Amino acid sequence: MARAKLTTKNLAQRIDLEYFKHSHPFRRLRFILSVTLPALALLWLVGYALARNDRIYSGGRMSASHAVLTARCNACHVEQAGIFGAKASDQGCGSCHNAPLHHANQIFTPTCAACHAEHRGHPRLAVTADVSCTQCHANLHTSGAATHFTSGITRFVGGHPEFAASRPGSVDPGTIKLNHAIHLKHNLRGPNGPVQLDCDDCHRTAKPESRWRFGSSTTQVEPVVQNAIPPSMDPERAYMSPVTYAKHCALCHGLQFDARFQEGVPHDTPEVIHAFLVQKFQQYIPNHPADLHATAPNRNLPQQPIPPAVRVLTEQQWVTLRVAESEELMWRKTCAQCHALTFAANAPLPIVAKSNITQRWFQHAVFNHDTHKLLKCVECHSGATTSQETADVLLPGIATCEKCHRGGRGAAESRCFECHTYHDWKQEKRVKGMFTLSASLRNN
Amino acid sequence: MRIDRTHRAWLIASLIVLGLATGTYVVYAASSPAGPSGGSAIGLTFGIAGSLCMIFAGLLAARKKVPVWRLGRAQTWMRGHLWLGLLSLPLILFHGGFRFGGPLTSVLMVLLIVVVASGIFGALLQHYMPPLMTTRIPMETIFEQIDRVRAQLLAEADGIVEAACGPLNSQSAAPAAGSRSSVATATIATTDTLPLCNFYSRDMRPFLQQQRAQVAALSNPAKADGIFEGLRTLLPVALHATVKNLEDICEEERQLRRQIRYHHWLHGWLMLHVPLSLALLLLGCAHAIMALRY
Repeated sequence: MARAKLTTKNLAQRIDLEYFKHSHPFRRLRFILSVTLPALALLWLVGYALARNDRIYSGGRMSASHAVLTARCNACHVEQAGIFGAKASDQGCGSCHNAPLHHANQIFTPTCAACHAEHRGHPRLAVTADVSCTQCHANLHTSGAATHFTSGITRFVGGHPEFAASRPGSVDPGTIKLNHAIHLKHNLRGPNGPVQLDCDDCHRTAKPESRWRFGSSTTQVEPVVQNAIPPSMDPERAYMSPVTYAKHCALCHGLQFDARFQEGVPHDTPEVIHAFLVQKFQQYIPNHPADLHATAPNRNLPQQPIPPAVRVLTEQQWVTLRVAESEELMWRKTCAQCHALTFAANAPLPIVAKSNITQRWFQHAVFNHDTHKLLKCVECHSGATTSQETADVLLPGIATCEKCHRGGRGAAESRCFECHTYHDWKQEKRVKGMFTLSASLRNN
Repeated sequence: MRIDRTHRAWLIASLIVLGLATGTYVVYAASSPAGPSGGSAIGLTFGIAGSLCMIFAGLLAARKKVPVWRLGRAQTWMRGHLWLGLLSLPLILFHGGFRFGGPLTSVLMVLLIVVVASGIFGALLQHYMPPLMTTRIPMETIFEQIDRVRAQLLAEADGIVEAACGPLNSQSAAPAAGSRSSVATATIATTDTLPLCNFYSRDMRPFLQQQRAQVAALSNPAKADGIFEGLRTLLPVALHATVKNLEDICEEERQLRRQIRYHHWLHGWLMLHVPLSLALLLLGCAHAIMALRY
């Protein structure tokens, strides 16, 4: 039997012309899937809606500090205008936080969420983008008088001015005469022989507490650890403690005023020292009457009468004489070695200039010495070993910081928030808590 | 649909929109203190634009339901489906700031990516496979009618073999008398037709009946050529025409099988693309409504 020729007509005759009226399994499966999948999606939504749980509509994982509010959308999304008005507002934030304004003269106040982006899973909401700051500080305008702050800050590396204290012409306002170079010399004369001073013999943070090498005996109290908290949470590790005479200088720089006494004068005002001296000598002389017989020095001065070889003084005279001698020693040598003293006419006592030791150089930024403790001090304070003048500012310049804080991968953080805070926390007011544990943990 | 020169205008328009959207996004992302957000004015604009693209792409299915309505050319709809659907992905990524967000938005993002990826895969298949099918399946038929055509091929092959060898249920017996085919083969000795009968009943018929265990040899064109060549050497010249007919039927069967395979590739991705698109649109509506609230 010969096979029929396969013409178009023959081929067409093979086809059932009604074929499109019958569903093919392939199309049927597609239809079933097209109904089933959307139905499952709908069921998912309905299930959560019936459970009154809006968590699936969350914009993302909450930050670590707000994680407890994950299931409590209305804690931040305060309903304002019916069902379609529950945006996260400053009002919601304000129920837990009091975040003071940045500056009284600012002309623009962003909303909380404009800088603190929630639902991103950030561990810290304080981590903000530079543009949060540079949107104003790149071209700073204020509502009051012209600002004294730099107005064109765009970023840290390459867009930040030199630190004010490190700019040319800046001087340390301190009046204590301190020569860092001498203090860091080898074989410096110490209380018990030659010593080599190290930076931390004078400069340390308040924590961890430890004994000072050259403090006075009264300051050498064995440190007692109380209420120990992790270093990262301890603000007392951030800044260097103020340098004080008692803790840092006393052992080498004694205040002896007379060979008759072991102790020195108190490290205090001239008035206190004067009163101390008077009291000391007044207490001394009744017990040592022989000292009233003053032996004059063997010297002949032209046109001066020859004094008697031995004078007998009254107690009052003796005290006055000894006090005058001791004060002369103090004002002209011992005190003057470190302090700037001025002698006003007709004034019995000198005026000691205020020490003006700067406690915190960066008034508008924060710094933490503890987190930088892996570095040698002179890596940043490179001028310390050669500085001879008190006026020398030994702070590192911005270029030093930029060596590590240069942004990008493999470098330390360089965004604004690392050193600056937006809110003026001095103005912070207390907030009364509004939530209960049971309500906060519900649905979690 | 082939992606050819006729798509140039759509391609250029899409690239311009993408370029503008990218530029806007870069500036917006760099100037947003808290980073790009879907809730900001620009973020919402991206979201609305992306959603409109998705909705237009989704309307293609509706358009196909009413082919006689004057709603523009089907080709235009398809091109719009392709390019706007593709454009929806970057727009939605810009909307979300390249973050997947919470549970619903993550599901939406995954759905969108799968839908667009499957769409791109489908578009590539639709571009490359039709010419391939034209070349490799000259006997192509309507996919839904393949089973019917196969049944006809089987019946035709049965008829051809019965004409040569007699009724199939008594292959070794003498051909049935009286029938035209039996008359035609009556002059051929039974022993001569035996190899043909055996081949047909043992190999070819199971092959046409899609009995999987028997399909390996004949489903391979080269092997099939060898089998039929061998069969010809066993059969008298008078039966060579019959063998040629059977060979043609096998070739047609192979082409139908190939068509099924190609069809599954060509349309199988729709099993993913269409249902997920519908789920995407549904969940997208829920997202839009709830975004109004939060």
